[in-house]
Amino acid sequence: MNAQSRPALARGVRLWIDPITGGPVLLFPEGVLPLDDTTHDIVSRCSGQATVEGIVTSLAEEYEADCAILLNDVCECLAELREEMLITLSP
Amino acid sequence: MNYRPYMLLAELTYRCPLHCPYCSNPVAFPGGRELSTAEWRRVAGEASRLGVLQAGFSGGEPLQRADLPELVGAFRAAGLYTNLITSAVGLTRKRAEELRDAGLDNIQISFQSDEEALANGIAGTAAHQTKLRAARMVRDLGFPLTVNVVLHRGNIARVAEIISLAENLGAERLELANTQYYGWAFQNRAALLPTRAQIARAAQIVGEQQNLLLGKMKILFVTPDYYSDRPKPCMNGWGARFLTVNPVGDVLPCPTASSIKDLRFDNVREHPLAWIWSESEAFNRFRGTAWMPLPCAECPQREIDFGGCRCQAALIAGDPTVTDPACSLSPYRGKLTTFVESIQSAGETDPFFGAENSNISFRQNPGV
Repeated sequence: MNAQSRPALARGVRLWIDPITGGPVLLFPEGVLPLDDTTHDIVSRCSGQATVEGIVTSLAEEYEADCAILLNDVCECLAELREEMLITLSP
Repeated sequence: MNYRPYMLLAELTYRCPLHCPYCSNPVAFPGGRELSTAEWRRVAGEASRLGVLQAGFSGGEPLQRADLPELVGAFRAAGLYTNLITSAVGLTRKRAEELRDAGLDNIQISFQSDEEALANGIAGTAAHQTKLRAARMVRDLGFPLTVNVVLHRGNIARVAEIISLAENLGAERLELANTQYYGWAFQNRAALLPTRAQIARAAQIVGEQQNLLLGKMKILFVTPDYYSDRPKPCMNGWGARFLTVNPVGDVLPCPTASSIKDLRFDNVREHPLAWIWSESEAFNRFRGTAWMPLPCAECPQREIDFGGCRCQAALIAGDPTVTDPACSLSPYRGKLTTFVESIQSAGETDPFFGAENSNISFRQNPGV
């Protein structure tokens, strides 16, 4: 993964609102992952079009935060999701 | 702990074209009619209102139900994630297209091995080529694919080749499910349990491949609890996250709970799912920690493993209310250890899967 990678939800993964809690969750084969606000902000930007860099820039504006620190957090979050095959990267 | 079901396993039928000797279905099938299309549709609505987010369609072989696309559509329309758990026997292109149009989210296909003769021997029928064709076809249609292989002494030495098979099929997920010794598998456990050395070798190969295939295919592998010191956190707690509706409408806290003889299950024909979940005797019997005997009651692990598996306590200790005998603190652990050690001295010769082998009972269909 690098700044130019384009993350997308993996095939078979659905971003969904839990009707009981009202919070966002990822649904995938035999799994439910409730998302915290930050993870949801990242995942909802994983369109397959936006680059990691683009996602970080967009989040930095929204949070009024520093890009360098955010980049680290975003990459860590994406790496964890990728390990579970919840997101895939292209190229 | 809040008790809220995330996952409903819909066992649509006990009919199955395969005869796997580790089948998780009950050895003695319950009597009664299969739920109708209309009854399943009602269950879908009740499940959604109860907060269930996932439906797994299983059996037996769920494709034996002609109304499968309609049932998938009903659960999907109720907002649930839908996963078909199938042998792929009967999964024609036309049916797969119907399932896609109904909104099916994922297909899980079982393989018995990578090697045709062995795979067919384990399944008790010539299904391997059909499975390969079906897996390639559903990938063509754009379905996400999970490959599931139940591991035992007869195929665990082929774990590297099995991983290659799943990778070549383009699966997102591979479940290397070590046999759980209930029902048919419990009857056949002397032929099925791998040796300690076989498990260790498989775990090493899986670990290497998990790293190599990171981001391409997720490999799930859990060591069998017969080789563990601590019990598995069965179902993430009794009546906590999971329910099974069996083909005749009985609702169970886990798919094998009918092996607990004195437990009575309520039926969706007589009660709403929400009542069964919150009020029924079966779901409350082992919920939480109040039911626990020693050593569980004072164990710091009690909210981590929930005392382990009630079915295993019933099977090994003859009492579903005691600590899971897989736990090294269980007074019954010795019974498990004696059996496990008898397997080590038996050596690693593969069990012979075939009609001539009278040591293995193959799974039969209801009424046979």
